[in-house]
Amino acid sequence: MRVGVLCSRVRVEEKLIFQALCDRGVDGERIDVNTTALGLSEGVNGYDVVLVRCLSHSRALYASKLLGDNGQRVVNVYDVIATSGDKLVTSLALAKRGIPTPRTRVAFTPQTALEVIEQMGYPVVLKPLNGSWGRLLAKINDRDAAETILEHKHTLGGYHHSIFYIQEYIDKPGRDIRSFVVGGEVIAAIYRHAPHWITNTARGGEATACPITPEIECISRAAAEAVGGGVVAVDVLEAQDGRLLVSEVNHTPEFRNSIAPTGVDIAARIVDYALEVAVMEPGR
Amino acid sequence: MQERGVKYERLDERHLALQLQANGPSTSSGHGLAEEYDLIWCRAISHSRALYALSILNSWGIRTVNSYQVVLTCGDKVSTSLALIQHNVPTPRTVVALSAEAALQAIEEMGYPVVLKPAVGSWGRLLSKVNDRDTAEAVLNHKATLGGPLHSVFYIQEYVDKPGRDIRTLVVGDEVVYAMYRHSAHWITNTARGGEALPCPLSPEIEELSLAAAQAVGGGILAVDLMETADDRLLVNEVNHTPEFHGAMEAVDVDIAGKMADYVLQLVGWSGSPWSGGQESLSTIRPSGHLTNSGEGLC
Repeated sequence: MRVGVLCSRVRVEEKLIFQALCDRGVDGERIDVNTTALGLSEGVNGYDVVLVRCLSHSRALYASKLLGDNGQRVVNVYDVIATSGDKLVTSLALAKRGIPTPRTRVAFTPQTALEVIEQMGYPVVLKPLNGSWGRLLAKINDRDAAETILEHKHTLGGYHHSIFYIQEYIDKPGRDIRSFVVGGEVIAAIYRHAPHWITNTARGGEATACPITPEIECISRAAAEAVGGGVVAVDVLEAQDGRLLVSEVNHTPEFRNSIAPTGVDIAARIVDYALEVAVMEPGR
Repeated sequence: MQERGVKYERLDERHLALQLQANGPSTSSGHGLAEEYDLIWCRAISHSRALYALSILNSWGIRTVNSYQVVLTCGDKVSTSLALIQHNVPTPRTVVALSAEAALQAIEEMGYPVVLKPAVGSWGRLLSKVNDRDTAEAVLNHKATLGGPLHSVFYIQEYVDKPGRDIRTLVVGDEVVYAMYRHSAHWITNTARGGEALPCPLSPEIEELSLAAAQAVGGGILAVDLMETADDRLLVNEVNHTPEFHGAMEAVDVDIAGKMADYVLQLVGWSGSPWSGGQESLSTIRPSGHLTNSGEGLC
């Protein structure tokens, strides 16, 4: 059994994945995405499965496509990365399956976006379609803010920053929930506590264990399935009225801060799933 | 220019390639710019084009309106503020921060609302009125992430609660040619953004401040933006080095282009009688990529 791990930087997560592979007596090999060239009809040879752990969304997206189309088994597959890597496509996938998610509208010009925001009422959240670690999220509390943020996106950003993804602001109870779904199973969940409305642990949100209630399990599994399964982290918001809403799905989750609070060996669960994929019958 | 019997030519700055070693490139007639023209009047819309063209022309000893130094000072709000403050011209309280973190701290200390402005830019573009911390964080973040390095120079100014208008004056040499109000329901009053131009009486105070502001940045043909505070003070907000005035032409009864032309001619000693022509003829050049309404009268 040979398992490839495609990445550039080896973060804590990748080290833990290599350790878990080693613990199982499996050869884990790092495939450095910086020095790998992939052809249209040849992949990387000799791996039973390749774990795509690129930091960059674009690299993960195209590498998984090139590998997968050449018959290489990959985790995650291209469709999962393509769907969950784009907030708009994720929202559509969630909505299509009736999974509760914040009210969202999309506009293509600053003028229309401003009209939409005024109609929705303040506060709203503006998010870039791609991006992680809470970057460039904007909480818009009034028209002055809306005007200037829209103008900055439109003037300074590339064309994709002019696809305005506008979402109702959910007044969270100082925390949100992140659940890890691996191969259709919810293996762990944490609360991310933060006084700031952006709760990412990369931005200082503090992680504590979150009991996996039937509601959390149900919505997390449904969200993971909606984007195509694999290894994903689901961000869940608790609304004031007690409803759970899925805000995002992440395809290459960082999990270093979630191991200690939950006591779950997340790397081991990911590796076990990858090994299952490696021996799966084709077509499954 | 035509009415004054002066020879002039339009130089399109898009067609200029200035050879730095040559000490003045050849023009179509085969002469160097310095021999060809007594003065070059710069009306380029692009600040960068104006700045670099003037830098080269002035270094060759060619007289220009405005001078490179004036455009350099007015084109950058940090430099403008420094010049105004050095000359004791009242201007809004301003802080410059060089990182998003320092900027956020400065904003929190100043208190809301504040205004964020790009150091370089016109027509009210990318101005931000920041009313709370959420907005401050988002705007700073967007500037730092999406903008070039210049957008990480954070120019932070107290918000002046204007009475639905500000004042724009035009200074030509040592004369204030006109003052007008720019009325707008929006806090950004630029006529380019829909502000309405109406005549404004030229009070001694407005006149004095406008001249002082123009003097502070080096003088020439300049538009000065003034704000009236709630407690009746006047503050100089900006000084513009290549003013558009088509908006003003409807509001004020002054031959603006004529005033400007007379000033430019006076700089090169034009007496008013028709020139004899030849090498001594005066040409002003208006390098311009685009003809604007304001410029057409000059061409």
